Amino acid sequence: MADRKIKVIIAKPGLDGHDRGAKVVARALVEAGMEVVYLGLQQTPESIVRAAVEEDADVIGLSILSGAHMTNFRRVRELMLSSGLGDRLLTGGGIIPTKDQEKLQEMGVGKVFGPGDDLQEIVEYIRANARRVPG
Amino acid sequence: MTFIPQVFWEDFFKGGRLACARLITAVENEPEALPEILDRIIPGQKGGLRIGVTGPPGVGKSTVTAALARRAVRAGHSVGILAVDPTSPFSGGAFLGDRVRMQDLSDDHQVFIRSMASRDGHGGLSPATPYAADILDAFGLDRIFIETVGVGQAELDVLDCSDLVVLVLQPGTGDVIQALKAGIIEAADIFLVNKSDLQGTETLLDSLRFLMDISPVRKGRPFPPVVEASALLDKGMDAASAEVERLIQDCVGSGRYREKRRSRLEREIRSAIQRELWDGYSALAGAGESIRAVAEALIEKGGSPYPYIHEACSRIRIQLVDERDSRGK
Repeated sequence: MADRKIKVIIAKPGLDGHDRGAKVVARALVEAGMEVVYLGLQQTPESIVRAAVEEDADVIGLSILSGAHMTNFRRVRELMLSSGLGDRLLTGGGIIPTKDQEKLQEMGVGKVFGPGDDLQEIVEYIRANARRVPG
Repeated sequence: MTFIPQVFWEDFFKGGRLACARLITAVENEPEALPEILDRIIPGQKGGLRIGVTGPPGVGKSTVTAALARRAVRAGHSVGILAVDPTSPFSGGAFLGDRVRMQDLSDDHQVFIRSMASRDGHGGLSPATPYAADILDAFGLDRIFIETVGVGQAELDVLDCSDLVVLVLQPGTGDVIQALKAGIIEAADIFLVNKSDLQGTETLLDSLRFLMDISPVRKGRPFPPVVEASALLDKGMDAASAEVERLIQDCVGSGRYREKRRSRLEREIRSAIQRELWDGYSALAGAGESIRAVAEALIEKGGSPYPYIHEACSRIRIQLVDERDSRGK
């Protein structure tokens, strides 16, 4: 199982059209040897979690610059739990104030990243925290 | 996931989507689980039809697949989609972007979409794709679309893996000389000229008509139908979908479907035996290392590999004969 590839969903929930960041991160993860399912813009929490189920993804990464991060992360996390994906990593990035980051972690969201963060740091964080349950 | 628990199988056969997804992950990552999985799913298969969708990069395979899938759902079918995108030979990673074109299917519970990286496959699919199709079939889906990576001229894995091949083409991608070349053009059961609102459509249609004139019958079957469409504008797709459905009925009715299934099983048996024999031999003789040493030595003295090959094969023959004789006693 050592060479099992990490599968990551990258999505932008809601009405936020800025997808450069999501694409840059997706590209960095691909270059680090991961398999990235890119869902693109205007996703609903329902469509994101449904894709994560069908793809059996290890990680869901949300990119949110709209300010709606609390609502979106909460809803995605709820749906993950009710779909049997409670053991997978939910992470993301965007413009997310520090005070909100703590609240997100209480909900079961992992670390979130922001502008200026090192891509290598994101890669290593995902490698270290992606689900590694056999099967 | 070797030795899959019974509750897992119950979940799968009751329609558990995550169970289905996890089985596909298992065939992608754990070849040792394959016998157990096939033992369970093949008796559960309901005879889903497999429709390959192939063509050069950027012609609109994902959009075409989504448009065909939507119509199949409307006609009362349950639909599986396996969308393969290329694995980077440099990083081993893959950017799987086909779902972006399939957004309007993502709320439909009659549809199960799975993206797959091509990994070690070099024929337009990943090695696990045929098994993933088997799984979707056992899951109860009756139309399974298999979308290849963008192909050139000779990536033909989809031909073995599906009952019917839709070749998607677009205007402005080569002249009649390209159309005369062997390979992907010959694999098509239907030509779908996509983006037919663009300039150059007539030229492409002319090339296909020319091809039809010079070889009206191929392998005892009439020249494949040609349909014009624009999947993005959703024009001509009703006709394309109807044509696909007609070909499916023909495939089942003419016995070609049964023939396809038989040859898939034959190939599976052959390749599994090859694998098994090779694994046994290489474990026994430490073949991996000794072959490397032999190759190294051959480069040194510039010799042919065949003396070694003959010797190795005769060792295997002796062992097989010994085994047979000892069983006879």
